[in-house]
Formats: sequence, C-alpha cells, structure tokens
Amino acid sequence: MQGLPLVFENVAKAFRIKGQALPVIERLSLDCPSGSFTALLGPSGCGKSTLLRLALGLEDAEAGAVTVGDEQPRAARRTGRVGVAFQDAALLPWRTVESNILVPFEVLGSPPPSAERMRELIKLVGLTGFEKARPGELSGGMRQRVAIARSLATEPRLLLMDEPFGALDLILRRQMNLELQRIWSQSRPTTLLITHGVDEAVYLADRVVVLSQRPARIVADVTIPFERPRPADLHRAPEFHELCDEIGSYLDHSADGADS
Amino acid sequence: MNGSGNRAATLVLLVALIVIWEIAGQLQLVAGGTLPAPSAILARIFVDRADYWPHVLATLRTSAAGFVIGNAIAILAAICFCVWPFSERLMRGVNIAIFAVPPIALVPVLVIALDGEVARITLAALLVYFPTMTATLSGLNDIDPRTADLISAYGGGRFRALRMVRLRAAVPAMMSGFQVAAPAAVLGAILAEFGSGARWGLGTYLLGSLGRAEPDRLWGIGVTATAIAGVGYGLAALVARMTTGVNRAVTMAPEPPQAGDAEHRMRSIAMTIAAIAFPFLVWQALLVISQLSPIIAKTPLGVVDYLFFSNASAVAQQKLLAALAETIPITIGGMFLGLAIAFVLALIAFAAPTIMNALLPFALITQTMPLVALTPLAVLIFGRGVAVTLVITVSVTFFAAFVVLAQGFALIPRAAFDLVDAYGANTVKKLWLVAIPASRNWLFVAARLAMPKALLGVMIAEWLATGRGLGNLLNQSRGYLDYGMIWTVALVSVLVAVALYQLTYAVDRMTRPR
Amino acid sequence: MNLNFNRRHFLKTATAGAALAFTPQLARKAFAASPLTMQAAWINDAEFCGYFTAMAEGDYESAGLDLTYLPGGPDVIPESSIISGKADLALTTPDTTIKAIVDQGAPFKIIGAQYQKNPIGIVSLAKAPINSPEELKGKTLAVPPVNVMSVEAMLKLNGVDAAEVNIVPYAYDPTPLIKGEIDASLDFTTNVPYTIEQQGEKAVSFLLYDFGYKTYNDTVVVTEDVLANKRPELVAWLKASRAGWNENFVDPAVWPPKFADTWFKGTGRTIENEIFFNTAQKPLMEHPDGIFAMDEAGVAANVETLNSIGIKATPDMFDTSLLAEIQA
Repeated sequence: MQGLPLVFENVAKAFRIKGQALPVIERLSLDCPSGSFTALLGPSGCGKSTLLRLALGLEDAEAGAVTVGDEQPRAARRTGRVGVAFQDAALLPWRTVESNILVPFEVLGSPPPSAERMRELIKLVGLTGFEKARPGELSGGMRQRVAIARSLATEPRLLLMDEPFGALDLILRRQMNLELQRIWSQSRPTTLLITHGVDEAVYLADRVVVLSQRPARIVADVTIPFERPRPADLHRAPEFHELCDEIGSYLDHSADGADS
Repeated sequence: MNGSGNRAATLVLLVALIVIWEIAGQLQLVAGGTLPAPSAILARIFVDRADYWPHVLATLRTSAAGFVIGNAIAILAAICFCVWPFSERLMRGVNIAIFAVPPIALVPVLVIALDGEVARITLAALLVYFPTMTATLSGLNDIDPRTADLISAYGGGRFRALRMVRLRAAVPAMMSGFQVAAPAAVLGAILAEFGSGARWGLGTYLLGSLGRAEPDRLWGIGVTATAIAGVGYGLAALVARMTTGVNRAVTMAPEPPQAGDAEHRMRSIAMTIAAIAFPFLVWQALLVISQLSPIIAKTPLGVVDYLFFSNASAVAQQKLLAALAETIPITIGGMFLGLAIAFVLALIAFAAPTIMNALLPFALITQTMPLVALTPLAVLIFGRGVAVTLVITVSVTFFAAFVVLAQGFALIPRAAFDLVDAYGANTVKKLWLVAIPASRNWLFVAARLAMPKALLGVMIAEWLATGRGLGNLLNQSRGYLDYGMIWTVALVSVLVAVALYQLTYAVDRMTRPR
Repeated sequence: MNLNFNRRHFLKTATAGAALAFTPQLARKAFAASPLTMQAAWINDAEFCGYFTAMAEGDYESAGLDLTYLPGGPDVIPESSIISGKADLALTTPDTTIKAIVDQGAPFKIIGAQYQKNPIGIVSLAKAPINSPEELKGKTLAVPPVNVMSVEAMLKLNGVDAAEVNIVPYAYDPTPLIKGEIDASLDFTTNVPYTIEQQGEKAVSFLLYDFGYKTYNDTVVVTEDVLANKRPELVAWLKASRAGWNENFVDPAVWPPKFADTWFKGTGRTIENEIFFNTAQKPLMEHPDGIFAMDEAGVAANVETLNSIGIKATPDMFDTSLLAEIQA
C-alpha cells in the first residue's frame, strides 16, 4: 500500500471577521509526495492548522487546489485512507477509550479492528488498563494518546497530525516520537505533522517546512538527512543540534519579519 | 461537603419552610387566612379523596399524552432546525407564535376546532413544544466543534454527526427542556380542562371548586397537580444529572472560527421575508383545513380588514392602542424582574444547592397551580395594581429561565473552576470570573424563554386582577364574540412577543465577545 | 354572511346517511330517535337540573330524540359550538347572541328562554349591604369583564355615573368579597349567597333585572339552518325539556340528590349547594305560559334593554313559533 500524496497548489484562504477579510494563507504551494514525512513549523496563529483543515476538506480553499492522491479532500476522506489527530483530543466524553477509538470505523462503516489489534493499539499508546475509562477520568496527556491511537487505528495512507504530543511531558513525548517513527516506518503513510517542537520536527520528519506569520508563506524548506530508523540518542548528536539551531533561526526570523 | 450531609441539610430546610407555612396558615397570618396551612390542605385532600381519583386519572392521561407528543414533535423539530438551519429561520415566527399566543385566546378556538380530549392534549402539547425545542436545539448546536470536525474528517455527513455527537451531547439540555415541559404539560391539561367543559380532570374540579371560597380545596388541587408535574420534573432531573457529569466538556471549547458573511445579501433578505410570511401562510392553511366559519376564524386578511377597513376599525384601533400603552411598559419591567429572579435562583442553585433543593418544590407549585386559583390570594396580598401584575408576571417567567440557567452553570468545565480555585477564589469570585461569563449563551436562551412569557403574565394579571390593558381587552372581546378583536389581540400579542424575542437576538449578537 | 358547515358536520351527516343505506337495524333506530346535540352554558350544576331530570325521566327518548349533552365552561363559547356545527342548540346569554347577530351577521334565532329573569345580580355581605345601584357609589365592584357593559348600563338606567364605581375583574372566586377586598361582586344570585353563608357570612343581593336591566338568560339559540332542517326535533326538545323542568320544580330538593353519583359527581360542589341553587332559580324561571316562554312584553323588555346599551336588538331575533307549537 502506497502513501497518498498530498499537494497544496497556490492555495489561498481568508477569514472574515466583522465583514473584514483577514488573509490567513496567500498563494501557498506545498508538495508532500507519497510516503514522505513533512513537519510544519511556524509561529502561533500563522495558519498551520488551517492547512490541515484544508487537507481534510473541513475548509474550502478560496483559490488554488488541494489534492489528496488524485482526489479532492472530501472524496479522499471517505475512503478511510486519511487519519487525523487534532490538537485537542476531540474525544466524545460519554464514550470509553476503546469506544472512542472505534469512532472512525463507525463513521466509515468499516469493520472494527480485532480485539487483538485493539489491545495492541492501546498498548502502543500506553493505556493498557484504561480501556473502559471515560475521557473525564483521564489526564490531558492520556487523552491525547487516545487521539493518537484513534488516528492510527484505521491504518491511514495519509496521516494528518496537529500538535498531537502537545500535552505530553518531555519523556513521554520522546517515547511517543520513537513509537510514531516505528509505526510510520512499518507502513509509511504520507504524514503531515504540525508541531511547535523544533527537535520533534527534526527527529521525525524527512523535511521541515517553516511558515511565516499570517498570511502564511513558506520561509524555509529543510531536508532532514538522518537515516532511519533514527535512534533515541540522535537527540544528543551535535549534527542534530546544528540542524535544530538552523531551523530555530528561520523560525525566529519568520516571527520577526511578519510585522514589518 | 458530603452528599448525605447535604441531603440532610436540604431536608431540614424543607421541613423548616413547611413548618413556617404551617404556622402562617394556622395563625391565619397571610391575607386573613387565605393561605391555608399544609396540614389543612392535606386533611382536605383526604376528605375529598373519593372525588380525586377520576380527576387525577383524567389529568394524568391528558398531560402525559401532551408531554409525549409535544416533546416528540419538539425533538424532531429541533433536529430539523439543527440539520437545516434555514428551516429554523423559516419557522421562527411560527415557533414564537406557538410560545407566545395566550392560552386564553387559543383555547376557545381549539375547543371549537377539535374534539374535547384532542383539544386538551393539543394545548398540553403546545405548551410543551417550545421549551423542549429551544433547549434541545441549543444542546444540538452547542457542541464541542472539534468533535464534529472529527466526524467530518472521516467523511461523515451532518446526519452522522447528528447521530454520533449532537444527539447524545444534547441529552442534558433536552432534559432541562423536559423539566420545564413537565409542569407545562400539567398546566396545559388543567387549563384546557378548566375551559373546555371537560367532565373530568383537575381543571374541571378546580372550576367547580372556585366559586366555593374554600382555599384549602383549591390548594389541594394545586398541590396534587404539582405532585404530578413533580414526578415528570424529577425523572427528567435525574436523567439530566446522570448525563451532565459525563457530558461536561473536558476543556473550554475555543470560539469556533467565524463562519463569515457567506450568505448573499439578496438571499438573506428573501429569507427574512419568507420567515415573516410563513406564519401567516400556516395560519391561513390551518383555517382552510379546519373549515371553520369565517365568523369565528379570521384569516390574516380578515384581521387587516377588521383593523383598518371595517366600520369598527376606528374604535378597534383606539381600544388596541390604549391597551398596548398600558401593557407594554409593565411587560418590559416584568421580564427583567423575572429574568433577574431566575438568575438569582440559578446562582443559589449553583452556590448553595442545599437551599435550592429545598426551594424547588415551592417553585414548582407556582408553575402548576393555575393562576386563576392563586389570584384571590395574590389580590388580597398585593392589591390590584402594578405590584400584583409584576408578581404574576414573575411567576410566569422565572421558572423556565431558571432551569436553563442552572443547567448552563452545571455544564461549565471543571478545569475552569480548577483554575480560579488554584488562586484561592471564593464562590463569589468563581461566579464572577467563570460562571457568569461562561453561561452567557445560556442567559440569552433563558431571556428568549422569558420574554414572550412576560407578555403572557401581564395579560393574565390584567385579565384576572387589574382589568386593564390587552388581557382585559381580549377577555371582553371573547364575551362579545368579537372575533375580529380576539384575533387582532392574539396577533398583536404574538407580534410583540416576536419583537421582544428578536430584540434578545440582536442584543446577543451585539454583545457577543470576539 | 353565509354559514359554512364544517367538515365534521358533513362527515356526521354522511355517516348517518351511509348507516341508513346499509344497515336496516341502525336505520330503524336512527329513524326512531333523531340525534340532537345541546351545548350547555357551564359545567354541570343545578342550572341545568331540568335537562338532567328530563333525561332521567326518559322525556327525550319518548319525544323521539337521541340527545347528546355537552357541558360548557369558561372557554366554551356556546354560540361558537352552533356556528361550528358541534351542537344543534346552545344555551346562551342574550346580549352576546344578539351582539353577534348584529355585528357579525351570525345567523342565530332565539327560540326560548330558560330564565325569565336573568339571575345575575349584585351580591354583597349583609354586614355591609348594598341593596341598590345608588349604594354602589364609591364602592369596589368585581364584575366578569364580559358583563361590564351590562353593569354600566344598569348603573346608567338608575342615574349612577359608572365612573363613581370602582369596577375590577371578577374571577369566579368569592374569597375577595368574603375577605372584604371588594365590596360587592356580580354573580349568579342563585348560587353565591350559599357559598358566602357556608363561610359564616350573610349575603344580600339584588338582581340587575329588578333595576331595569330586563334580560332573559340561558336563551335557547339555534342557527337558521338548524331551525329550517330540524324544526320537529327542536320542538320536541322544548317540550321534553319543559317536562323535565316542571318535574324538577315539583320539589326542588328531590332531584339534585338523585344526580349525586352521576351528573353532580366530583364537580367540587355539594348537593346542598345544588338544592339551594335549584330552589333559588325556580321563581326566576317560572312563567304562566310555561318554562322557556317568551311573551311579547318579555321580548319587548329585552329589546329595549339591549338597545339601551347599544346592542341593536329587534323582536324578529326571537322566534316564538316553536313555543306556540308546544302550547297547542
């Protein structure tokens, strides 16, 4: 199974507030080839999440085109080959952990995963024993892990993640990064990861794209050379830090530059 | 604080209130003994017990049927309005008309157009419809938007989101609607029995007992009606409590992105015109279907003709304007007062649930005790001026608003309170910093429920106590079979209610934080 | 304006026709007893005791009627029931009926009058008695909004300025009168004095009728259409109802107890109350020509009274020909 390519072509999007148009994205093109892992970095409110919503067909671009595989986002998402983890876990509070993971299957009308696969998924995100817990009984980090398990459960060919590890502590976050890399390497879905963490982006992605402040433009597009599988101690390697510093400077620059 | 301790405190307070009532009744402290002691009421129910059964059974049957039918239609309607928002706009006028049309104008027409029991169930269902529909719709719409996104992200349409997210998320709101609907159904059944010449029913019993100057009998009927409504209220409250805890959002939902002015201006204007015209079309259609005599049933054009082109129009206009001048100012005062009292009660329910639980049975009595039975007491205590009008108006308005606000406070995320708790905030601070801003939307829902009711309350007071304004005009017109004026007053009262309703929408929009 | 029959009426007729055509037994029964529906003016009380007596005595059956009796109530406008075809005849107050004829063109005819003298009057407490319109000056009087015009007319007839009387709405409950919040109320003098005495007070009252407001009450009203199509049934009804009233008035204390478990069960009122009512109404209903009579002087007095309050009544609104038939 091939990853689905994701292509943004001259995309523009604006929001209207009190009748005034506020451009969020202006003529942005981004090509995520099949099986690639792209991380998006950028200042808060720069339109990263909007890009993800465009890829899901939750918003429509005002100009340009978004293509998933060879389809429109709305058609693609119905195939069950797109997985998503939102910034906030977006769990249904009245459903248990297990039942929340089953939501995509119910929506798609596809057969639910086997009990064994479910156990595996829950173990993967370290929630064994919490299968029957409701979101209200979980910590913020645990809820995010449910959301990650849910995004992976359908074995997507395009994985869209919006700061999925935002609420996790550093140790857990690195652990989850390692796991994500492992799962990703097994099936190689095309992945678009939105994050605030430069090190996370560098560790996970093949390519890190830095966006400017609103309206979003690409200010840097950096290829990450490290071979996979990337070991946990890559985080301590000097070349890793160099790359992080470089990307960090683009990021600082993008934040400064926008106001002028 | 522990649960059983709270329950004990509630019980103590409740008993204390009843003891105070008992003493006031025994010593004839209120209005020269017009307020009977609880023991006297119970003793009287016991004496009358043989009479009660057929009446209670009839009222139970009518109100239960009205409750079920009204709620079923309300929920279906709310679902339609949620899935197709344009239908809500189209039906808004009809909805408010249903809510705002005074039962004293409606019952005579229902009684003519429908057969006895059908007419009574219809009134109960009509009174049930609006509170449940409004509450359910706000529950369906007021969801965590990210969960709806999730369903869309996997290709689910709006029906899927409806089934998997909205319907379940709306349960607590729906239940708060049921809590208002339960007393409304009982009141509707009793009002219809009272007016329609039913052989059996608590309303019939009340009518027969009214002329006998025996307050203990009247209160006995009121307490019985309250008990029936209390069962429905209690069941709904139980389900609400069971579902609310689970439903409570885990974090505050961010403000959803603004949808933008996607709607074309021309379409918007067309929509508004359609929304205004639609109730009149429904009105005309219902008359055509019911085939009532044109003497009784005035069409929209018939009312215009009556008010502007008939021989009687000059007199009619003069009477109407004079009545409006008396009714409108006090309506506005009454609605703010009713809303303020609802807000205070909801605050009490939030800050001191012990006190509120003890007060609740008394609040419920005001909802199910037909005002006609309470009027002598109200008149003896408050006279026949502005005070009695305000009291009656508040008693009509506060309850629905209170239930909605209390539900709104209950749904505030825990995390929000944890935050201010962390800074050692006391209850007042908690209210000020979190509860009041967070329940803002619920306050407007409450206001929308209270506004049309305020007009109704004023009209009832005018009809029963003060003999002024629109309520009196309506009642006199009924006596003279002046159907032109009956329909005109009904129409004008609905229009005023719609205007007030739209006003709350406008204020809501203008003051919405960005 | 023409009377529009509603669909229910049409269906009823159609069903009856179908029954006639297809079921011989039913047809014979329908032929034997013509259906007739009457709309009463209020819930079951002694005001309608004569009809209950007639039913108990089988007077309607022997007159060939299959009578359906509909109780009234505050929201039942009896005239509406006959316009809508729900009932064939209704007991009404003559002022509203005639106002509807004049103002709305309603096709009504009055074919009889239950009360020769309208029982409504001014009731006050014996300890602060009000015995004449003159004495109402400066007092608070509770009047059902429907009757305000009548009261104002009565005051005018007696040279009292209506502005000198504080008129407030009356809502069925005499408690404010007993507690002294109001000084007098307008109500059925056949009924309320009993309640007041039950509460340990004495009541005095005077009829509006005795102070120049000479109207009937519980007038028997039909539409012109019913009058044309069901004349024999209406005559039969008048005759049977008169028989019932006559029997009832032989001793006003006899019949109300017999209805304790039927008509008067669970009405919230006592049988003693109904006996009081029944006794008090007897002199208001009796007439040398029999119950329901509408003699020339009576009709003239009604017309004059109603014209004095601006309701343009004419004698032709009263159709005495049916009464003449049962007189013969």
